[in-house]
Amino acid sequence: MNFRIPILKLRDTLIVSIQWELDDQTAIQFQEDLLNKLHETSARGVVIDLTSVDFIDSFIAKVLGDVISMSSLMGARVVITGIQPAVAITLIELGIRLEDVMTALDLENGLDKLQLELEA
Amino acid sequence: MNKQIASYIENNSTEIISKWQELMKNEESERSFQVMPADLMDQTSREFSDLLVTNLLDNHEAYENRLADFAEKVVRLGWSITFVTKAITHYVEVVYHGMENAGIINEENVRAFVEEFSNWVTPIRDSTIDTYSKTWERTVSLQKIALQELSASLIPVFDKISVMPLVGTIDTERAKLIMENLLEGVVKHRAEVVLLDITGVPVVDTMVAHHIIQAADAVRLVGAKCMLVGIRPEIAQTIVTLGINLNEFTTTSTLQRGVEQALAWTNREIVEVEEQ
Repeated sequence: MNFRIPILKLRDTLIVSIQWELDDQTAIQFQEDLLNKLHETSARGVVIDLTSVDFIDSFIAKVLGDVISMSSLMGARVVITGIQPAVAITLIELGIRLEDVMTALDLENGLDKLQLELEA
Repeated sequence: MNKQIASYIENNSTEIISKWQELMKNEESERSFQVMPADLMDQTSREFSDLLVTNLLDNHEAYENRLADFAEKVVRLGWSITFVTKAITHYVEVVYHGMENAGIINEENVRAFVEEFSNWVTPIRDSTIDTYSKTWERTVSLQKIALQELSASLIPVFDKISVMPLVGTIDTERAKLIMENLLEGVVKHRAEVVLLDITGVPVVDTMVAHHIIQAADAVRLVGAKCMLVGIRPEIAQTIVTLGINLNEFTTTSTLQRGVEQALAWTNREIVEVEEQ
Protein backbone atom coordinates (compact mmCIF):
# COMPACT_ATOMS: atom_id res chain seq x y z
CA MET A 1 0.00 0.00 0.00
CA ASN A 2 1.07 3.55 -0.62
CA PHE A 3 1.76 5.95 2.19
CA ARG A 4 0.65 9.49 1.64
CA ILE A 5 2.71 12.20 3.15
CA PRO A 6 0.61 14.37 5.47
CA ILE A 7 0.49 18.06 4.57
CA LEU A 8 -0.38 20.34 7.48
CA LYS A 9 -1.63 23.88 7.22
CA LEU A 10 -0.50 26.48 9.74
CA ARG A 11 -2.00 29.91 9.04
CA ASP A 12 -0.79 30.74 5.52
CA THR A 13 1.97 28.14 5.48
CA LEU A 14 1.95 24.48 4.56
CA ILE A 15 4.20 22.21 6.60
CA VAL A 16 5.39 18.88 5.28
CA SER A 17 7.56 16.56 7.32
CA ILE A 18 8.97 13.63 5.42
CA GLN A 19 9.60 10.86 7.92
CA TRP A 20 10.81 7.95 5.85
CA GLU A 21 12.57 7.13 2.63
CA LEU A 22 10.46 8.21 -0.31
CA ASP A 23 9.85 5.75 -3.09
CA ASP A 24 9.13 7.04 -6.58
CA GLN A 25 5.38 6.47 -6.34
CA THR A 26 5.04 8.28 -3.03
CA ALA A 27 7.11 11.17 -4.35
CA ILE A 28 4.85 11.66 -7.36
CA GLN A 29 1.79 11.35 -5.14
CA PHE A 30 3.28 13.96 -2.82
CA GLN A 31 3.87 16.32 -5.71
CA GLU A 32 0.21 16.14 -6.73
CA ASP A 33 -1.08 16.37 -3.18
CA LEU A 34 1.00 19.41 -2.37
CA LEU A 35 -0.02 21.30 -5.49
CA ASN A 36 -3.68 20.49 -4.91
CA LYS A 37 -3.42 21.63 -1.33
CA LEU A 38 -1.73 24.85 -2.44
CA HIS A 39 -4.60 25.43 -4.84
CA GLU A 40 -7.24 24.71 -2.18
CA THR A 41 -5.76 26.79 0.59
CA SER A 42 -3.96 29.47 -1.39
CA ALA A 43 -1.10 29.24 1.11
CA ARG A 44 1.85 31.53 0.47
CA GLY A 45 4.65 29.45 1.88
CA VAL A 46 5.72 25.80 2.11
CA VAL A 47 8.22 24.25 4.48
CA ILE A 48 9.48 20.78 3.64
CA ASP A 49 11.35 19.20 6.53
CA LEU A 50 13.83 16.44 5.68
CA THR A 51 15.36 15.92 9.14
CA SER A 52 14.52 12.21 9.25
CA VAL A 53 15.63 11.47 5.70
CA ASP A 54 19.04 9.82 5.50
CA PHE A 55 19.13 9.17 1.81
CA ILE A 56 17.93 10.87 -1.36
CA ASP A 57 18.38 9.50 -4.85
CA SER A 58 18.48 11.51 -8.05
CA PHE A 59 14.84 10.88 -8.90
CA ILE A 60 13.57 12.09 -5.52
CA ALA A 61 15.89 15.08 -5.78
CA LYS A 62 14.46 15.90 -9.19
CA VAL A 63 10.91 15.60 -7.89
CA LEU A 64 11.77 17.92 -5.01
CA GLY A 65 13.27 20.43 -7.43
CA ASP A 66 10.17 20.19 -9.62
CA VAL A 67 7.82 20.63 -6.67
CA ILE A 68 9.71 23.76 -5.71
CA SER A 69 9.54 25.28 -9.21
CA MET A 70 5.87 24.33 -9.54
CA SER A 71 5.05 25.84 -6.16
CA SER A 72 6.73 29.10 -7.03
CA LEU A 73 4.73 29.13 -10.27
CA MET A 74 1.68 28.97 -8.06
CA GLY A 75 2.97 31.87 -6.02
CA ALA A 76 4.32 30.11 -2.95
CA ARG A 77 7.82 30.26 -1.52
CA VAL A 78 9.40 26.95 -0.50
CA VAL A 79 11.96 26.39 2.23
CA ILE A 80 13.68 23.04 2.67
CA THR A 81 14.85 22.38 6.21
CA GLY A 82 16.95 19.84 8.04
CA ILE A 83 18.93 18.36 5.15
CA GLN A 84 21.36 15.95 6.80
CA PRO A 85 25.10 16.28 6.06
CA ALA A 86 25.17 12.88 4.34
CA VAL A 87 22.21 13.84 2.17
CA ALA A 88 23.85 17.15 1.27
CA ILE A 89 27.01 15.34 0.20
CA THR A 90 25.01 12.88 -1.91
CA LEU A 91 23.11 15.68 -3.59
CA ILE A 92 26.29 17.58 -4.38
CA GLU A 93 27.94 14.44 -5.73
CA LEU A 94 24.91 13.83 -7.94
CA GLY A 95 25.36 17.38 -9.22
CA ILE A 96 22.01 18.50 -7.82
CA ARG A 97 22.57 21.96 -6.43
CA LEU A 98 18.96 23.11 -5.78
CA GLU A 99 20.24 26.56 -6.61
CA ASP A 100 17.24 28.79 -6.11
CA VAL A 101 15.92 26.99 -3.08
CA MET A 102 15.89 28.49 0.39
CA THR A 103 17.27 26.18 3.03
CA ALA A 104 17.37 26.29 6.81
CA LEU A 105 18.85 24.23 9.62
CA ASP A 106 15.55 23.19 11.15
CA LEU A 107 11.82 23.76 11.03
CA GLU A 108 11.95 26.75 13.38
CA ASN A 109 14.61 28.58 11.37
CA GLY A 110 12.76 27.66 8.20
CA LEU A 111 9.53 29.23 9.41
CA ASP A 112 11.44 32.36 10.46
CA LYS A 113 13.09 32.64 7.06
CA LEU A 114 9.82 32.12 5.28
CA GLN A 115 8.16 34.78 7.42
CA LEU A 116 10.93 37.26 6.58
CA GLU A 117 10.65 36.41 2.91
CA LEU A 118 6.87 36.81 2.86
CA GLU A 119 6.99 40.11 4.70
CA ALA A 120 9.59 41.53 2.37
CA MET B 1 83.64 -22.15 7.66
CA ASN B 2 81.33 -19.82 9.60
CA LYS B 3 83.24 -20.71 12.71
CA GLN B 4 86.47 -19.84 10.99
CA ILE B 5 85.19 -16.38 10.16
CA ALA B 6 83.78 -15.91 13.64
CA SER B 7 86.89 -17.00 15.43
CA TYR B 8 89.00 -14.79 13.22
CA ILE B 9 86.78 -11.82 14.07
CA GLU B 10 86.88 -12.63 17.77
CA ASN B 11 90.65 -12.94 17.85
CA ASN B 12 91.23 -9.75 15.91
CA SER B 13 88.22 -7.70 16.96
CA THR B 14 90.16 -4.65 18.14
CA GLU B 15 92.12 -4.45 14.92
CA ILE B 16 89.07 -4.95 12.74
CA ILE B 17 87.08 -2.34 14.58
CA SER B 18 89.81 0.28 14.40
CA LYS B 19 90.31 -0.34 10.69
CA TRP B 20 86.61 -0.21 10.15
CA GLN B 21 86.28 3.03 12.08
CA GLU B 22 89.01 4.48 9.93
CA LEU B 23 87.05 3.62 6.81
CA MET B 24 83.83 4.97 8.19
CA LYS B 25 85.40 8.27 9.17
CA ASN B 26 86.36 8.76 5.56
CA GLU B 27 82.71 8.69 4.61
CA GLU B 28 82.25 12.40 4.41
CA SER B 29 78.56 12.30 3.94
CA GLU B 30 77.99 10.95 7.42
CA ARG B 31 78.68 13.45 10.11
CA SER B 32 77.24 11.63 13.09
CA PHE B 33 80.25 9.35 13.20
CA GLN B 34 82.73 12.18 13.24
CA VAL B 35 81.09 14.20 15.97
CA MET B 36 80.46 11.20 18.23
CA PRO B 37 82.66 11.14 21.35
CA ALA B 38 85.45 8.54 21.12
CA ASP B 39 84.29 6.26 23.94
CA LEU B 40 80.71 6.27 22.75
CA MET B 41 81.93 5.52 19.25
CA ASP B 42 83.99 2.62 20.50
CA GLN B 43 81.08 1.22 22.40
CA THR B 44 78.71 1.57 19.49
CA SER B 45 81.17 0.06 17.06
CA ARG B 46 81.77 -2.90 19.35
CA GLU B 47 78.06 -3.41 19.72
CA PHE B 48 77.63 -3.27 15.96
CA SER B 49 80.45 -5.74 15.44
CA ASP B 50 79.06 -8.09 18.11
CA LEU B 51 75.70 -8.01 16.44
CA LEU B 52 77.25 -8.98 13.13
CA VAL B 53 79.22 -11.81 14.72
CA THR B 54 76.32 -13.29 16.63
CA ASN B 55 74.46 -13.55 13.37
CA LEU B 56 77.28 -15.66 12.09
CA LEU B 57 77.26 -18.20 14.92
CA ASP B 58 73.61 -18.95 15.52
CA ASN B 59 71.82 -21.88 14.01
CA HIS B 60 69.27 -21.32 11.33
CA GLU B 61 66.11 -21.00 13.45
CA ALA B 62 67.52 -18.60 16.00
CA TYR B 63 69.11 -16.76 13.13
CA GLU B 64 65.85 -15.35 11.76
CA ASN B 65 64.85 -13.94 15.14
CA ARG B 66 68.29 -12.56 15.73
CA LEU B 67 68.21 -10.87 12.38
CA ALA B 68 65.00 -9.03 13.19
CA ASP B 69 66.40 -7.98 16.57
CA PHE B 70 69.62 -6.87 14.94
CA ALA B 71 67.85 -4.75 12.38
CA GLU B 72 65.69 -3.13 15.04
CA LYS B 73 68.74 -2.31 17.14
CA VAL B 74 70.53 -0.77 14.20
CA VAL B 75 67.49 1.33 13.38
CA ARG B 76 67.32 2.46 16.99
CA LEU B 77 70.91 3.68 16.83
CA GLY B 78 69.53 6.41 14.63
CA TRP B 79 71.95 6.02 11.75
CA SER B 80 70.83 6.74 8.23
CA ILE B 81 70.20 3.76 6.00
CA THR B 82 73.02 4.70 3.61
CA PHE B 83 75.38 4.79 6.50
CA VAL B 84 74.31 1.41 7.82
CA THR B 85 74.63 -0.34 4.48
CA LYS B 86 78.04 1.23 4.01
CA ALA B 87 78.99 0.17 7.52
CA ILE B 88 78.05 -3.42 6.79
CA THR B 89 79.93 -3.41 3.49
CA HIS B 90 83.03 -1.90 5.02
CA TYR B 91 82.97 -4.29 7.94
CA VAL B 92 82.83 -7.28 5.64
CA GLU B 93 85.60 -5.81 3.48
CA VAL B 94 87.83 -5.38 6.49
CA VAL B 95 87.21 -8.93 7.68
CA TYR B 96 87.74 -10.35 4.21
CA HIS B 97 91.00 -8.53 3.61
CA GLY B 98 92.18 -9.40 7.09
CA MET B 99 91.52 -13.07 6.54
CA GLU B 100 93.17 -12.94 3.16
CA ASN B 101 96.27 -11.38 4.63
CA ALA B 102 96.30 -13.89 7.46
CA GLY B 103 96.28 -16.66 4.88
CA ILE B 104 92.99 -18.18 6.00
CA ILE B 105 91.52 -17.47 2.62
CA ASN B 106 93.63 -18.80 -0.19
CA GLU B 107 93.34 -19.67 -3.85
CA GLU B 108 91.55 -22.96 -3.18
CA ASN B 109 88.80 -21.93 -0.83
CA VAL B 110 88.21 -18.38 -2.03
CA ARG B 111 85.04 -19.27 -3.91
CA ALA B 112 83.48 -21.00 -0.91
CA PHE B 113 84.38 -18.13 1.35
CA VAL B 114 82.91 -15.54 -0.96
CA GLU B 115 79.69 -17.49 -1.00
CA GLU B 116 79.77 -17.80 2.76
CA PHE B 117 80.31 -14.08 3.15
CA SER B 118 77.44 -13.22 0.89
CA ASN B 119 75.16 -15.69 2.70
CA TRP B 120 76.14 -13.95 5.88
CA VAL B 121 75.68 -10.37 4.79
CA THR B 122 72.82 -10.37 2.32
CA PRO B 123 70.07 -11.32 4.81
CA ILE B 124 71.43 -8.77 7.28
CA ARG B 125 71.28 -6.04 4.71
CA ASP B 126 67.86 -7.09 3.47
CA SER B 127 66.31 -7.18 6.87
CA THR B 128 67.90 -3.88 7.88
CA ILE B 129 66.43 -2.17 4.85
CA ASP B 130 63.14 -3.89 5.48
CA THR B 131 63.05 -2.70 9.08
CA TYR B 132 63.98 0.81 8.06
CA SER B 133 61.22 1.03 5.50
CA LYS B 134 58.72 -0.40 7.96
CA THR B 135 59.70 2.22 10.50
CA TRP B 136 59.28 4.91 7.88
CA GLU B 137 55.92 3.59 6.77
CA ARG B 138 54.76 3.57 10.37
CA THR B 139 55.91 7.15 10.85
CA VAL B 140 54.24 8.27 7.67
CA SER B 141 50.94 6.65 8.57
CA LEU B 142 51.05 8.10 12.08
CA GLN B 143 51.72 11.53 10.66
CA LYS B 144 48.92 11.11 8.19
CA ILE B 145 46.51 10.43 11.04
CA ALA B 146 47.86 13.36 13.01
CA LEU B 147 47.47 15.58 9.96
CA GLN B 148 43.89 14.47 9.46
CA GLU B 149 43.07 15.21 13.04
CA LEU B 150 44.59 18.64 12.76
CA SER B 151 43.43 19.43 9.31
CA ALA B 152 39.78 20.30 9.44
CA SER B 153 38.19 21.44 12.64
CA LEU B 154 35.23 23.75 12.77
CA ILE B 155 35.53 26.35 15.48
CA PRO B 156 32.43 28.10 16.78
CA VAL B 157 33.55 31.72 17.34
CA PHE B 158 30.22 33.41 17.96
CA ASP B 159 26.69 32.23 18.38
CA LYS B 160 25.61 31.11 14.88
CA ILE B 161 29.05 31.82 13.39
CA SER B 162 31.77 29.22 12.92
CA VAL B 163 35.17 29.31 11.29
CA MET B 164 37.08 26.53 9.58
CA PRO B 165 40.72 27.43 9.05
CA LEU B 166 42.30 25.41 6.26
CA VAL B 167 46.05 24.95 6.34
CA GLY B 168 48.11 23.11 3.77
CA THR B 169 47.47 21.53 0.40
CA ILE B 170 44.00 20.22 -0.30
CA ASP B 171 43.71 16.92 -2.14
CA THR B 172 40.57 14.97 -2.94
CA GLU B 173 40.78 12.83 0.17
CA ARG B 174 41.19 15.83 2.40
CA ALA B 175 38.47 17.75 0.59
CA LYS B 176 36.07 14.96 1.44
CA LEU B 177 37.07 15.11 5.09
CA ILE B 178 36.71 18.88 5.08
CA MET B 179 33.23 18.68 3.62
CA GLU B 180 32.14 16.03 6.17
CA ASN B 181 33.53 17.95 9.14
CA LEU B 182 32.08 21.17 7.82
CA LEU B 183 28.55 19.81 7.49
CA GLU B 184 28.61 17.84 10.74
CA GLY B 185 29.92 20.94 12.49
CA VAL B 186 27.29 23.22 11.01
CA VAL B 187 24.52 20.94 12.23
CA LYS B 188 26.16 20.35 15.61
CA HIS B 189 26.96 23.99 16.42
CA ARG B 190 23.76 25.26 14.76
CA ALA B 191 25.84 27.67 12.71
CA GLU B 192 24.12 30.00 10.30
CA VAL B 193 27.28 31.35 8.75
CA VAL B 194 30.48 29.41 8.15
CA LEU B 195 33.73 31.10 7.22
CA LEU B 196 36.18 29.00 5.24
CA ASP B 197 39.58 30.52 5.85
CA ILE B 198 42.04 29.65 3.10
CA THR B 199 44.88 31.85 4.30
CA GLY B 200 46.99 28.76 4.90
CA VAL B 201 46.29 27.07 1.58
CA PRO B 202 49.39 27.56 -0.57
CA VAL B 203 47.86 26.89 -3.98
CA VAL B 204 44.31 27.20 -5.24
CA ASP B 205 43.95 25.44 -8.56
CA THR B 206 40.79 24.42 -10.39
CA MET B 207 40.55 21.21 -8.38
CA VAL B 208 40.78 22.96 -5.02
CA ALA B 209 38.31 25.60 -6.16
CA HIS B 210 35.95 22.88 -7.31
CA HIS B 211 36.10 21.24 -3.88
CA ILE B 212 35.49 24.55 -2.15
CA ILE B 213 32.52 25.32 -4.37
CA GLN B 214 31.06 21.89 -3.66
CA ALA B 215 31.54 22.34 0.06
CA ALA B 216 29.87 25.74 -0.03
CA ASP B 217 26.94 24.31 -1.99
CA ALA B 218 26.53 21.51 0.51
CA VAL B 219 26.60 24.02 3.36
CA ARG B 220 23.82 25.94 1.66
CA LEU B 221 21.77 22.74 1.40
CA VAL B 222 21.92 22.09 5.13
CA GLY B 223 20.67 25.62 5.67
CA ALA B 224 23.70 27.79 6.40
CA LYS B 225 25.71 30.34 4.46
CA CYS B 226 29.30 29.83 3.48
CA MET B 227 31.84 32.59 3.09
CA LEU B 228 35.33 32.30 1.69
CA VAL B 229 37.85 34.41 3.56
CA GLY B 230 41.60 34.87 3.56
CA ILE B 231 42.03 35.32 -0.18
CA ARG B 232 45.57 36.52 -0.68
CA PRO B 233 46.51 38.66 -3.69
CA GLU B 234 48.27 35.82 -5.48
CA ILE B 235 45.28 33.53 -4.88
CA ALA B 236 42.95 36.16 -6.34
CA GLN B 237 45.22 36.36 -9.37
CA THR B 238 45.25 32.59 -9.91
CA ILE B 239 41.52 32.31 -9.47
CA VAL B 240 40.82 34.93 -12.12
CA THR B 241 43.56 33.70 -14.46
CA LEU B 242 42.18 30.16 -14.29
CA GLY B 243 38.72 31.52 -15.03
CA ILE B 244 37.18 30.09 -11.89
CA ASN B 245 33.83 31.62 -11.18
CA LEU B 246 33.37 32.40 -7.51
CA ASN B 247 30.77 35.09 -8.11
CA GLU B 248 28.11 33.20 -6.24
CA PHE B 249 30.13 33.42 -3.06
CA THR B 250 30.79 36.15 -0.67
CA THR B 251 34.56 36.41 -0.44
CA THR B 252 36.75 38.70 1.61
CA SER B 253 40.46 39.19 1.98
CA THR B 254 40.74 38.76 5.74
CA LEU B 255 39.03 36.74 8.40
CA GLN B 256 38.33 39.92 10.32
CA ARG B 257 36.22 41.43 7.58
CA GLY B 258 34.53 38.12 7.07
CA VAL B 259 33.50 38.02 10.71
CA GLU B 260 32.11 41.54 10.44
CA GLN B 261 30.10 40.56 7.38
CA ALA B 262 28.86 37.40 9.09
CA LEU B 263 27.72 39.41 12.09
CA ALA B 264 25.90 41.78 9.77
CA TRP B 265 24.11 38.82 8.16
CA THR B 266 22.94 37.66 11.57
CA ASN B 267 21.82 41.21 12.42
CA ARG B 268 24.59 41.93 14.88
CA GLU B 269 27.68 44.10 15.01
CA ILE B 270 30.66 44.75 17.19
CA VAL B 271 30.46 48.07 19.05
CA GLU B 272 32.96 49.75 21.30
CA VAL B 273 31.84 50.33 24.85
CA GLU B 274 32.48 53.67 26.43
CA GLU B 275 35.16 53.86 29.07
CA GLN B 276 33.88 53.92 32.59
